[in-house]
Amino acid sequence: MDGRCLTSVLLEPVDGTDDVPAAVRSIPRTLAALAVSSRGAGPLRLTDHDIRSALSSDGSVATGLPFSWSARTARRALGLDAVRSLLSGEAKTPAHAVGATLARMARVRSGDRPSSSMEVWVAGLPAGARSAAEAEAVTWATRLWNALDWTAFPSPPLIGRDHWWDSPHSSLLALRSRAEVRSVVPGEQPATVHLVVLGGTRRPTVRSELCVVALVEALRAGRSAPPGRVVGWWPDSGHIARVDVNRAALDEGVAAVAQTLGTGSPRARTGGGTGKAA
Amino acid sequence: MVLVESRVTAVRRSERRVGAAPAAASRPAARNQMLTLLREGSGHRPSVDPGLAGGLRAWLEDAAGELSCARGESASPLFLGPRTLLAAPAPAAWEGRADPFSLELATSSLVRALFRQLVIAGSVGDPLTDGLDALRVDPARAELVSFIETLGTTRRAELADTVGIHLAHVADITPRFSPGWLPRTGDRVAIPLAGGRVVLSGVFDLLVGAPVPGTASVCAIGLTTSGRWARGRMTLHYLSLLETLRNGAPPFRLALVHSGAGRYAVEDVREEHLRALVAHLAAHLTALAQDRA
Repeated sequence: MDGRCLTSVLLEPVDGTDDVPAAVRSIPRTLAALAVSSRGAGPLRLTDHDIRSALSSDGSVATGLPFSWSARTARRALGLDAVRSLLSGEAKTPAHAVGATLARMARVRSGDRPSSSMEVWVAGLPAGARSAAEAEAVTWATRLWNALDWTAFPSPPLIGRDHWWDSPHSSLLALRSRAEVRSVVPGEQPATVHLVVLGGTRRPTVRSELCVVALVEALRAGRSAPPGRVVGWWPDSGHIARVDVNRAALDEGVAAVAQTLGTGSPRARTGGGTGKAA
Repeated sequence: MVLVESRVTAVRRSERRVGAAPAAASRPAARNQMLTLLREGSGHRPSVDPGLAGGLRAWLEDAAGELSCARGESASPLFLGPRTLLAAPAPAAWEGRADPFSLELATSSLVRALFRQLVIAGSVGDPLTDGLDALRVDPARAELVSFIETLGTTRRAELADTVGIHLAHVADITPRFSPGWLPRTGDRVAIPLAGGRVVLSGVFDLLVGAPVPGTASVCAIGLTTSGRWARGRMTLHYLSLLETLRNGAPPFRLALVHSGAGRYAVEDVREEHLRALVAHLAAHLTALAQDRA
C-alpha cells in the first residue's frame, strides 16, 4: 500500500449518499431509547475504545485499566500536532515538528500555565524519557506523513479533531468519532471523507467500528455535507478497510452502539474524556 | 556486503557522555563511512517487480493456511516474531523459562533505548540514567525496570559499564541522519496471513528515507547487542521481507551494527534473500502445523 493508493481510496468520488439524510432522521430517538433502556445509570459517553472493547469477543482489548500518559499513549496527540505543523509549512520534517511541540510543552516548567495533563507530563520528563516519547511520536507522524499524497487533497484537510455528538433527546448519551484526517470530496453533492489510523490486529469487527464513525458524522452533519466514506488504515501492515456511507452502514453503526450499551463497558460510564490513543 | 570494524574498543566511565562532547577525530569519519556506504548508488535505486510482494505472500499464505487449519478455526491469532521464527534455541537467559530477565536482556533494551535517543536528540547524558528513564515511559517494560533497579551495586556497575561501551560503539558508528532523511525508530511491521489467524511481526530499529512507489528506496539499520551476527543479519532480512509485504518494495540497503564489538556491515537487499527467507518461514510454519497434527 503506497501513499498514492491510500490517497486515491480516500479521495475518489463519492456516490450514493442520497439516502443518508433521510436515514439519519429517526436515529437520534432510537439511540436515546437505547440509552434509557441500557442497564446502569449515569452519563454514557462512548468513545471508539468503548465500542472496540464491547465488540471484541476475545477479550483482546484491555478494559478498566486506569489511563496514564506514556510514550505510547502520547504519540498520537504529539504526532497529529506535528502533521498539522507540516501541512501548514511551519515545520519541514516530522522530527522538527515534534521537537517544536515538545519544546513548547516543556516551557510549562519555566512558568507558563499548563493547558493539559499531557503538557504537565511532558514538562516533568527527564531527558531520556523525553527522547523516548519524542521518538515514538516522530515515528507515528512520519508513518502518517508518508502514507498520503498531501498534494492530492482539494483543500487542506482537517487533522485529528475528535467530534462529539450529544444526543438532543437524552442528556445521558454522547458519541465520539475519532479520525486522523478529514476532508471534503467536491462534486455535485459534496461529501466528507475520514481516515482512521487503526491499531491492534485486523479484526472482523472493524467495519462496525468504522460505521460508528460514519454514524456520528452523519448525526452531526445537519445541512452540511454528509459523510461519504470512512477508511481505516493499519500502518503496521498497510491494509485498509473501507466503508461507503449509506443506510446499511448507519444501521450497522446503531447496532454497534446498541451492543456497547448492552455490554456496559465500564469506561463508558465514567464520563471520562481521555480516550486510548492508537 | 561490506564489513567495517570500529576503532573504539572500550571507554572509561568518565568518558561516557557521548555525542555532544567533542569526539576523537576518527569518529565523524567512521559515521560518514556508513553514510557513504548507505548512499552509494542511491541515484540508481532498483525498480521492484510489481508482482514480487504478491508472489511472496502467496507462498506464505499456503503455509499459514495449513497452520491455521491445524490450530482450528476458534484459535486466537498466533503472533510470530523473529525470535521464534528464525531460530535455533539461543543460550540467552531471557529465552529460558525460569528467569525472564538477565543482564543481557537489560543491556539489549537499554542500548536500544539509547540508540533511539542518539538518533532523535543526537546525544546521551549518563547512559544508565537516560536508558532507564526511557524504559520507564513504556509500561510494558515496568518489570524489566524493576529488575534493573533492584540489582546489587556490583551488578549495576557492571551493567552501566557494559551499556557505556555499547553506546560508545553505536555513537561512533551511526551517522547523525538529517531530519530530512525522515529517520524513524521502532517502526513496527505486522503482516496478517490466513485471514489474520497467523501474524508475522517485527520492529525496525531504524528506517531512513521516504517510501517511493515501485522503488526500493528506504534503508534499514539494525542493532545486535548479543554478538549473534548471523541471526542479526537474518532478522534484518526477515524485516525486509515484511516491509516488502507491507509497502510492495523491500528496503534498498541494510546496515547491521554490532554494538558490543563496534563493527557494522552494509549490504543490498536482494531478491534471493527474500526468497530464501520465505522458504525458511514456510518450512517453519509447515513444521508447526505438523506438530499440531
